[in-house]
Amino acid sequence: MSEHVQKPIVFEDDHAEPASVASSTLTFLFLAGLACLAMMIGFTDLGPAKVWVSLGVASVQGLVLTLFFMDLRHADKLTWLTAMAAVFWTFLLFLFTLTDYLTRHYYAF
Amino acid sequence: MATNAHAEGEGRQPIVAHHFNNIRQQQASVRFGMWVFLVTEVLFFGGVLCAYAACRIWYPKEFEAGSTALNPFIASINTFLLLSSSFTITLAIRAAYKGQRDGLRLWLASTIVLGTVFLGFKAKEYYGDYEEGLIPGPQKTLVDDVDATGKPVLREVSVFAVNLKHVLEHKNAKAKAISDKMTWNERDRTQMFFVFYYSITGLHVIHMIVGLGLLVWQLILAQIGFFEPTERHVYIEVMSLYWHFVDLVWIFLFPLLYMAGHHSMDGAF
Amino acid sequence: MATTHAPATTPTTLELDYTPQTAPPVVDVDGPPKVHYLNHSFGWLSWLLTVDHKRIGILYLIPLTIFFMCGGIAAGLVRLNLIQPYGAILELDQYNKAFTAHGTIMLFLFLIPVIPGVLGNFFVPMMIGAKDMAFPKLNLASWYVWMGGAMFFIAALLFGGLDTGWTFYPPYSSKYSHTNVIWAGLGVFITGFSSILTGLNIIATVHKMRAPGMTWGRLPLFVWAMYATSVIQILATPVLAMAVCLLATERIFGVGIFDPSLGGDPLLFQHLFWYYSHPAVYIMILPGMGVINEVITCFSRKNIFGYKAVAWSSVGIAVVGFLVWGHHMFLSGQGVYLGMVFSVLTMLVAIPSAVKVFNWTATFYGGQITFEAPMLFTIGFIVLFTIGGLTGLFLGILGTDIHLHDTYFVIAHFHFTMVGGMMFAWQAGLHFYWPKMTGKMYSDFWSRLAAVIMLVGFSLTFLPQFVAGYHGLPRRYPYYPVEFQMMNILSTAGATIQGFGYLMPAVYLPLSLFFGRNAGANPWRATGLEWQTPSPPTMHNFEELPIVTHGPYEYALPSKFTLEDGHAHETKGGNGGH
Repeated sequence: MSEHVQKPIVFEDDHAEPASVASSTLTFLFLAGLACLAMMIGFTDLGPAKVWVSLGVASVQGLVLTLFFMDLRHADKLTWLTAMAAVFWTFLLFLFTLTDYLTRHYYAF
Repeated sequence: MATNAHAEGEGRQPIVAHHFNNIRQQQASVRFGMWVFLVTEVLFFGGVLCAYAACRIWYPKEFEAGSTALNPFIASINTFLLLSSSFTITLAIRAAYKGQRDGLRLWLASTIVLGTVFLGFKAKEYYGDYEEGLIPGPQKTLVDDVDATGKPVLREVSVFAVNLKHVLEHKNAKAKAISDKMTWNERDRTQMFFVFYYSITGLHVIHMIVGLGLLVWQLILAQIGFFEPTERHVYIEVMSLYWHFVDLVWIFLFPLLYMAGHHSMDGAF
Repeated sequence: MATTHAPATTPTTLELDYTPQTAPPVVDVDGPPKVHYLNHSFGWLSWLLTVDHKRIGILYLIPLTIFFMCGGIAAGLVRLNLIQPYGAILELDQYNKAFTAHGTIMLFLFLIPVIPGVLGNFFVPMMIGAKDMAFPKLNLASWYVWMGGAMFFIAALLFGGLDTGWTFYPPYSSKYSHTNVIWAGLGVFITGFSSILTGLNIIATVHKMRAPGMTWGRLPLFVWAMYATSVIQILATPVLAMAVCLLATERIFGVGIFDPSLGGDPLLFQHLFWYYSHPAVYIMILPGMGVINEVITCFSRKNIFGYKAVAWSSVGIAVVGFLVWGHHMFLSGQGVYLGMVFSVLTMLVAIPSAVKVFNWTATFYGGQITFEAPMLFTIGFIVLFTIGGLTGLFLGILGTDIHLHDTYFVIAHFHFTMVGGMMFAWQAGLHFYWPKMTGKMYSDFWSRLAAVIMLVGFSLTFLPQFVAGYHGLPRRYPYYPVEFQMMNILSTAGATIQGFGYLMPAVYLPLSLFFGRNAGANPWRATGLEWQTPSPPTMHNFEELPIVTHGPYEYALPSKFTLEDGHAHETKGGNGGH
């Protein structure tokens, strides 16, 4: 009976060693480089494309930050599911709300 | 139940809390709990950014002008400060994992310093906006204007609109060009951008303050040796998840708030 | 121990054996344990500083009951006022404040926290074989946060009131209302934070704290429902918090995001608000559906019909519930094409809901049904929720909604799902689990009578409102044309009967604490893990870590818990499935 009790219970094992100093430094330098790029975009006149370009840079930055600094790349499926849920539900919020703002002036009758 | 994971840490509270079966379960729960919390944070900022997007679709010109009136230099410095603090907290995790007490304290302290300097710059920026009168509100004033037939009239506009006009005209040539093309109604409505600016950065600052408080708490814990059992590095790790998230928010705020307008290096220094 | 159960009947034919079986009583014969979670320590502080999930459940129960009474009194005032076409007792602004108080208290302070707070806290860890929630201190903090938010709410309603309706629509709430919108908004924000923390805790608990052998396919369906609820709580609540923040900003500083006269858009608030508040009705109903699964299997002595379908339909409701919020805004000026999309998506929610109802009905089939009080509530739930759900389809269809929008039809639909659904499910859950929570059994006669009285009162209250709404009586108006007076009087009469019905448990349940007989560990002979503990449970729920080898509803098995006893029964009767 008692040997059952002492069985370790870990359903989703997400254990991983923290990133090495070299890897963290590299990530930081890459993020800082992208920040420089974001600044350069901010100080140039790209017209309507500017917001999309700068959001693209921000997304890459965010992705690198999440994957490497927040160590999502070593995380288990559950953590990935959690992170994806956040992205997906934010997407839903934007999708329907902005659809309203972009289509409200079309009349059905 | 008496596995070695129950060993007492420094004679204080056990490393594994009473309701967990082993350290791995506890670590996994703590880590997962923080990830779930960050999901709610994403949706929290997602809500206000969605409102921002909807309003920007309606009023692109006003948002451009509002962003032009902001100070992009402080924001840029702050971006690098936050990125560096993300870097230092990552080093803190490693130090805790390796059981390097001094390293842990050093990197926690540097994270705190970087975050505090960020807040200092932020305060300077807010103060600058305040001095320029870029505070939305219902206060009205009268300005000279011309009506449709070209006849001079007195027009009631918000104090904010007058201040905005003044700021843009004295900023640089590009800003002046933007300001000249705006009507008084548009200047009035630029308040909306500033409502978003203050509320989003304000929430970000609140998150920073909470994070700094927690970091100070962890620094104290590190000082008294709470993190000596290296299993407890997971607490530094979940703290870093939160801190990285605050950084992540800023990464998106920077282009959306500060870089949405036209800036030039004129008059930067 | 084994000698105390009914002898295990071994089926001699291939017929399915649905003979009621006792699960092995744990400490039945010995009475309640000497030291259990209620008496292991005493004094106010032992309760206010407890991190025990069971005590926190009780901590939720008491204020929730009080808030339900407050909300009920406000509803009574509204109904009384409506017996005359020009108002019987209230001034116009008092009427606005009364229906707002009813709506806000019932939704934010009762329906949303009630089952997650009480039954979720109490039973989710027990059902999955854990000693506590994953984050016990956070659990207690969540209660304090909730109480703090509730105090803001109650203060706002007592000192000056609130007249915006529970929806806080701007620009009325941001610009014109002279009542305590800020304080109530703060209450919403803070209680929402508590809701997030509870949801987070339950999700982490379900993922990380399950006992060995407790696979996802063996989780009780209540746990599945609570999990789905928690997912909605953590994903939706922050958006409401943000909407309320922006509303407060607008109101305090006189700036415009939602105010059209300043260039803002009132619909923006409605989008953010309903992004939360539509899923929030699933936060309210899903835990109720979870309770129904537990009760219906127990009193039918059968496994649930279609376990996987019921489990995944909870998750389905949680996900699809996020795709439909625009059906609240069909007539508010939302884009017409988006309205059509939302109308079609709204139909999708009917699918998982219907899956549940069909599976419950199929669970009845061939069962050995007994009509104890929890079962009566459950049957009431199924009937009333089906009516509520089907009338919801009328409102989800764009065309009919134009006729029925903002009429009493909406009120009747909503109350059929929320009172007929959730309130009955809550009563079912409370009556089902009361013996486990307190160790005492309440009066069989009075509890059954209460179920019948609530059902009669409820039907009389809200069936006439369908008719009145269909004939065009708008909601929230204090005055109405004389021809609707009969409907309103019927409705008020029904509300009075309902009120008596709700008062009855408030009397006989507390009385059972002093005069009730000891319930024993497993009075309903149910099979879940939570029933394998003594009543009331001991401090850490389980003396030993339970090992789970079976699904949750195996009523057809002669004896389920064979592992620890060592004498496994042969099972020829199958598992209750067809």
